[in-house]
Amino acid sequence: MSGGVSGTAVGAPEHAAASRGARRIILLILQGLVAVAALVILAGAITTQGFFSLDNVQAILASVGFVGMVAVGMTVIMISGSFVSMSLGTQAAVTAIFFIWALKFGVAPAIATTIVFGLVIGAIQGYAIGAFGANPIVLTIAVVAVIEGLVVVFSSGGTQTPPDNAYTFLNDTHFGLPLSFYVMLGVVAIGELIMRRTRFGKQVYMVGDNPLAAYVAGLPMGKIGAGVFGLAGAAAAVAGIMLGAYNQGASLLLTGSLTYDAIAATLVGGTLVSGGKGSVWKTLVGALVIATITDLLLLRGYSNGVQIMVKGLLVIVVVIVVHLRSQGRPS
Amino acid sequence: MSETVDKTALISLETVSRSFGAIRAVDGVSFDLRPGEIHALCGHNGAGKSTVVKMITGLVQPDEGRIVVSGSESSIRSPQEAQELGIAFVDQELSVVPILSVADNIQLGGVSEPFFNRPGKTRGRVRELLDMVGLQGLDPSDPVSGLSMGGRQLVEIGRALGRDARVLVLDEPTATLSTAEIEHVFSAIRSVAATGCGVIFVSHRLDEVLELCDRVTVLRDGKLVDTADTSAIDVDQLVSMMLGDVPPAAAPSLPEQGRAGRTAVEVSGLAVGARTRGFWLKGDHGHVYALAGQVGCGATEILRAIAGLEPTATGNVVIDERRLSLGSPESAVAGGVSYLSNDRKGDGLFLGLTAEENLVSTRLDDVSRGPLLNMASLKKAAVGLAETIGLAPERLPEPAENFSGGNQQKIFIGRTLDRSETKLLLLDEPTRGVDVKGRMEIHKLVRDAARDGTTVIFASTEIDEILDLADDIVTMRSGLVVGRHPRSEVDAELLLGEMTHGQPEKVPA
Amino acid sequence: MSRLSPSVRRRISGGAPFLIFGLVILAFLLVPFYSTEAISPFNGYNTLQSASSVGLLALAVGISMIAGEFDLSTVGMYALGGMLAVKFGGSSPVLGVLIGMAAGVVVGAIQGGIIAKLGISSVPVTLGGYIALLGLTNVISGGESVAYENFNVGLWLDQEVLTYFSPRSLIMLLAFVGVAALLRWTRIGRDLRAVGGDRRAARAAGVRTDRLLIGTFIATAVISALAGALLSFSIATAKPDPGGSPLVFAVTAALLGGVTLAGGRGTAAGILAGVLSLSLLEEIFVIVATPDYVSNLVLGGLLITVVAFDAPRLRDRAIALRSRAAARRISTLQSQRIRREQQR
Repeated sequence: MSGGVSGTAVGAPEHAAASRGARRIILLILQGLVAVAALVILAGAITTQGFFSLDNVQAILASVGFVGMVAVGMTVIMISGSFVSMSLGTQAAVTAIFFIWALKFGVAPAIATTIVFGLVIGAIQGYAIGAFGANPIVLTIAVVAVIEGLVVVFSSGGTQTPPDNAYTFLNDTHFGLPLSFYVMLGVVAIGELIMRRTRFGKQVYMVGDNPLAAYVAGLPMGKIGAGVFGLAGAAAAVAGIMLGAYNQGASLLLTGSLTYDAIAATLVGGTLVSGGKGSVWKTLVGALVIATITDLLLLRGYSNGVQIMVKGLLVIVVVIVVHLRSQGRPS
Repeated sequence: MSETVDKTALISLETVSRSFGAIRAVDGVSFDLRPGEIHALCGHNGAGKSTVVKMITGLVQPDEGRIVVSGSESSIRSPQEAQELGIAFVDQELSVVPILSVADNIQLGGVSEPFFNRPGKTRGRVRELLDMVGLQGLDPSDPVSGLSMGGRQLVEIGRALGRDARVLVLDEPTATLSTAEIEHVFSAIRSVAATGCGVIFVSHRLDEVLELCDRVTVLRDGKLVDTADTSAIDVDQLVSMMLGDVPPAAAPSLPEQGRAGRTAVEVSGLAVGARTRGFWLKGDHGHVYALAGQVGCGATEILRAIAGLEPTATGNVVIDERRLSLGSPESAVAGGVSYLSNDRKGDGLFLGLTAEENLVSTRLDDVSRGPLLNMASLKKAAVGLAETIGLAPERLPEPAENFSGGNQQKIFIGRTLDRSETKLLLLDEPTRGVDVKGRMEIHKLVRDAARDGTTVIFASTEIDEILDLADDIVTMRSGLVVGRHPRSEVDAELLLGEMTHGQPEKVPA
Repeated sequence: MSRLSPSVRRRISGGAPFLIFGLVILAFLLVPFYSTEAISPFNGYNTLQSASSVGLLALAVGISMIAGEFDLSTVGMYALGGMLAVKFGGSSPVLGVLIGMAAGVVVGAIQGGIIAKLGISSVPVTLGGYIALLGLTNVISGGESVAYENFNVGLWLDQEVLTYFSPRSLIMLLAFVGVAALLRWTRIGRDLRAVGGDRRAARAAGVRTDRLLIGTFIATAVISALAGALLSFSIATAKPDPGGSPLVFAVTAALLGGVTLAGGRGTAAGILAGVLSLSLLEEIFVIVATPDYVSNLVLGGLLITVVAFDAPRLRDRAIALRSRAAARRISTLQSQRIRREQQR
């Protein structure tokens, strides 16, 4: 209305070249593929020996524990618009090392200080990302290298072993499932509570939805960033504690594929890559879906490589579907 | 009105019309451009100028009528076809890439650019083009980021010439330029016209139109008012052509006065960007001030600076005796500023979040108990605000992007209302994209806010809105204040006159 | 800094990677003075050798960053390219390399197509691509390292040429020269930087942004495949998982080489300077026998520093601080002058 001609930039369209119609077709095809794949998986599950057995279900649920905890943090980071942190897996490992070392002060102090430690490491990264706009991916990639270097400095590279057995209750099984599963549920519940029921959580959604609008509205970008990554760091620390207990020792090898698995779970759970949408409990669903598919592939004898490949393809397909669906809204 | 179409015209539109849904944006307009002519296209908002330009540049096709280019009937179906027909377009939103050099930008994206760079040949050609637009002293390998808006404008004109354009369309080329830069752009345009090209100059700035152009075509409400030689008319005639008859109902009616009081807001010595210097304003409690001006007048920059969004702004902003720290939106908000930008989609609303979440986004502290939100009071606050702004409470859980433009704007404004912390309300184009009914509702909301004691400063290009809403009006042009009047002393003609060719006031030392 | 003319400023920032390289060379030449070790031409050869594969990776990542994107799948293609080269290059190493590069064309086209045509950010797409490619490599290799029987290829690739070089490092340098020529002497260079610098403006000006983006991702995948193939032939093994450090090296080298995360800046020569600086730095660490973790720390710390300097709001705050400080100084001087005049 205002400014006459200058209301909109007359010229090439802002969005990518694929037309509305083409996108709808692609979306339909992909959704069809997903439906077919789901049927195939279901058929596979039914025809696979022992898939629906109690043992198997327990195995699936148990495997989700560590990834689930780290994925809670990854989800919060993605919702805040910072894409991902490539250092969460490494943070889990280094907090595991810290926990094992701190056990000499007693179990409870060890748990408390480890969580604080993880929170601080995360908050520092988050402040730089929120207040200064540093690129989260590259920064966290660098943090991995720094953490790996520092770990060697402080522990001479070997495996930390616990001083006694006071911690082993953390490995107990209750109702057929390891404690880590229940702890993971607790972390998910706390994460969901924070995101839905606190002022901070709402602010995170705002920053993710439109960081410029959040900045203009006077939101404290640095503090929010520190809070987001601090929360993720704390969740990763909890995972580290349980990992250390499970392994009865800790080293950087505990990182494994945690980071990528957490990212995959977050994306498959429908969290929008651009931020502002998603929820912690849906990430749990994503983690379960991945764990189920991986388990099925394992039972049917497919190699590790196939499992990883399927995970990667699943991520791409879900990202595309979620993206296309979020564009189809009326304006 | 010319009855017969000029056969030698570079391009002519013959009784073209175009509708968008129920709106007839262009209705039977005829227009022609002669070789070597500088032809202005004028009209107030909604007159149809942008649609006519889009027809010429290939973004929109007419429903009726025909377009004739160099004697043969043509249909211009895409910007590429326009380029091939020799039509070049310089939009107000420039398409220069700041990181690249001037030479790179001139060559960028041309259909007939060679694959292999030929630096020798290119240097000569670029130098020629730069000289033609008056950038003789410029080193072509300098990055465009170092150029002022005026310089960038000239580079884009240079690019258009480099594509052997016969028709050059410029949209508001001088809106954001300083006086010196405007002179440069004028000489560039004149040299272009001297080579036989035709120039279409779309502008609000009537003094410039009369100075630069040979003929001017005025549109109003989608129809052609007249095409006249600029030597035969003066500014006041142009203004009345653009406005049409002023209906008696628009005679000034004094709006409700807000609670008058001592100076609540004092802005002094505000300098932003390249043009704005020495802006001052003393604002009373409960008063509504309008910054009136055309696009690029500097009002947006002033509001942004007060809101803390311009890190390089200098000057003083004092609210209730507390000085704001410029360059920090956090400080502005803490000082009691609520700012609504003119781009509710860009830096305003959280489109993916619900209407409810958007409404309460500024008062999360009020609805919390410690770190946790009190969902009941949150809901209550949201429903209360929804009723105040006239939004159905059932629609609160819908995402903000689902709402119409008018409703989005109401949500945007709603989040700043009923907050005792808001001492200064800044609105940039408060009713942009809103229909008449929505505009009335929003104006009432602003009046209510003023009545509660808030000082309001709003920027607008819409004369009707300014006359309807403001207690005091500050007109601006080219970054400087050209007039200050209480509402009772102005009418539409005075306002439009000042906005289009007013002279800057003396700045106090 | 603001008083310098734009051309001088441009030359300074454009020359930064080479300045850094110069400093590293200096540090290298001074090794005998601050340590007990000696240097020899062999160190130069070693540096170029270690730069050969990760250098190409840096070129690939760098190209994607110039275009304003970020290709995380390059390491995945690095692994896949190496694996395919070993698997299919038994009798003819050239065939193996070509198959690896052909796979790169397919992968790059798919990723580029998704990113350009559907408007999805390159990060999640290439992240998924990375995982999928690692998985594929794992499948092909059966989860283990695969040995390459044809040792002669590796020996030939790594033989000394002109003291410092080898066919492998010459191939790497040739690739850099080729890309540099493409970027400098054809319109692709200009279009690429435009797409990275301001995609909307580039498209409005008439650049075919979609085609360019797809081509970019094809290029990054092909170059990464080549890098992986060369490495695999050299060590006569294809590893299914290269780990995380190649990416750290590649990104650091690109950033040191003048590429920015925002896009629109960077040259092949600069990236090469960054690669050689880092490789030489690592060589110095080897000579001086610093433990691995120190070089890890230095690399990571370096990357963090570069990222911090690249961060936009940090720069804004610095500008704001500077201009506010300047304004305050001006007003202090003004009030001083007024006071002085009043005293007269």
